[in-house]
Amino acid sequence: MITIEAQQLTKRFGARTAVEELSFTARQGDVVGLLGPNGAGKTTTIRLLTTVLTPTSGEFSVAGIPSTRPNEIRRRVGVLPESAGYPGHQTGRDYLRYHARLFGLARSDAERVAERLLTQVGLDERASSRISTYSRGMRQRLGIARALVNDPTVVFLDEPTLGLDPAGQRQVLALVRETAQRRDATVVLSTHTLPEVEEVCSTVLILEKGRALVSGTVSEVTRAVAVQTSGQLRVPIELVDRARQALASVPGVVLEVADGRPDVLTISLTERPGGRGETGMNAALRAVLSADVPVLSFEVEGARLSDAFLTMTGEGAG
Amino acid sequence: MSTSVSAPSVEGTQRATRIDAQGWRVVAGQECRDLWVSGRGPFLIFGFSVLLSGVTYLAATNLDINFLEQREAVNLTLQMAVAVGVLVTLVVSADGLSGERERGTLESLLLTPVSRRAIVTGKLVAALSVWFVAFVVTVPYLWVLGRGVSIVVQAVLLGLLVGTLVALGLAALGLLISAVSTSNKVSLAVSLFLLLALFAPTQLPSGLPQGWFFDVLARLNPVTAALHYISAVLVSGHAWTRDLSYLVSPILTVVLAGGALIVLAPRIVRLHAGVSGE
Repeated sequence: MITIEAQQLTKRFGARTAVEELSFTARQGDVVGLLGPNGAGKTTTIRLLTTVLTPTSGEFSVAGIPSTRPNEIRRRVGVLPESAGYPGHQTGRDYLRYHARLFGLARSDAERVAERLLTQVGLDERASSRISTYSRGMRQRLGIARALVNDPTVVFLDEPTLGLDPAGQRQVLALVRETAQRRDATVVLSTHTLPEVEEVCSTVLILEKGRALVSGTVSEVTRAVAVQTSGQLRVPIELVDRARQALASVPGVVLEVADGRPDVLTISLTERPGGRGETGMNAALRAVLSADVPVLSFEVEGARLSDAFLTMTGEGAG
Repeated sequence: MSTSVSAPSVEGTQRATRIDAQGWRVVAGQECRDLWVSGRGPFLIFGFSVLLSGVTYLAATNLDINFLEQREAVNLTLQMAVAVGVLVTLVVSADGLSGERERGTLESLLLTPVSRRAIVTGKLVAALSVWFVAFVVTVPYLWVLGRGVSIVVQAVLLGLLVGTLVALGLAALGLLISAVSTSNKVSLAVSLFLLLALFAPTQLPSGLPQGWFFDVLARLNPVTAALHYISAVLVSGHAWTRDLSYLVSPILTVVLAGGALIVLAPRIVRLHAGVSGE
């Protein structure tokens, strides 16, 4: 089922265009990674889809509700805004209870939902503490809990792991995964941390200057983008020459010996993954194996989402 | 294209209506808790009562040496209570939206299904709670000064009616300013300047000069008009109905500022203030 559908969505602030003719869809259960360099329009896209901002032109629907009914959309979405502020004097329990009440829950239901979510995000022991005493990671988890008070169909998380230590990042990512799996909700995750996207996202939408550069599954996006692929092949040192001879017969392969590691050959391919480059890497491996050279290790580089992202946005240049 | 998720049910629509109906009450309740349990409310009222104690002391000593009649002493204290009570109400309302913007908490509020009209209504009610508490604090002072003459009940009713009218109008104005101000400092500065400009004419040593022009000015200014009305009833002993024309300005302020706030709320209660966009 399609839960987000944007068509030609455009947002201008005066002369500046923040989002331009953005079209994409997301399905129930998808975890959509929203990627892009700073100023690409990720936050504006989220604010448009959550009806905090009104589009200059274009249409969208969220959870099957058209953009002309913003109050109903807000009832069905949960959002962790970028740099969300928290009332430091309130306790975590009060904060969640208040927001549950704002979504129309009765006092007793709001109490129950707050307790359940505090337990779910691991804040039950600090439920009665003031938010001002929470660490950044705890606040982010509280923010995610707040985004879930209305049992949303679509959850938007804008930079949820920003400023968190690795342990905090893992906790938040586990929550994101759990939200998508257990609740069968669509999660839109805006982030700069590409390994996070590879880890938890099923699909990716890369934005630049307000436009969608590419969208699809992580592997589709990675394959679709021109990335020079290289790999590091480790073979028994006494068989390095035989491996080099075998690889020399594969077209498009450039070989180098890694610095200080005579048993490691760096294989570079000038062709694209998904096209001949991938088969070229396979052909290189096949050639080595055909020559009866055991492969001790083989690590492909340049075929990751981060490489695709940097290539597409030009951030890898230089 | 695949099937979309189901459209909202009748139950969903009913729930949306319920959210809007109870939204302003939930916002008002939380704002009041924030203000009175862990916020500035008690400090503002403490400052208010210290000031009022000083004014009452001065009025009482002037009363003892016959510089001031008892009715004038009650009138002076009530006027001060209305003016300062309105000031603190304005301070709270001027922080209502711009303050939330700066603290980063407004977006979370805008992401709820509560309408923006309900949000400003809740904030208006919370700001008004400051006036009502200030007024309750004023009552004992009026009782002390007005003992012996049957003026206390009249002064209390008059203060409640006129003060609430002025507080409501200026609180709505404060929220309007807060909604369109680019920062909280700007909002507070503009609101305080406005109040001082409105309040200044009442502090001229001999009052406003005589003449039709100054009379019109006094009637246009909701603060001077309200205080003049209080004075006319309490000191001059006029009937409540005689100078009602002086209440036109405070009533108009409520209607215009309150109306503008409610009508414009969907457009001006937004993440970024200013004219460049949202």
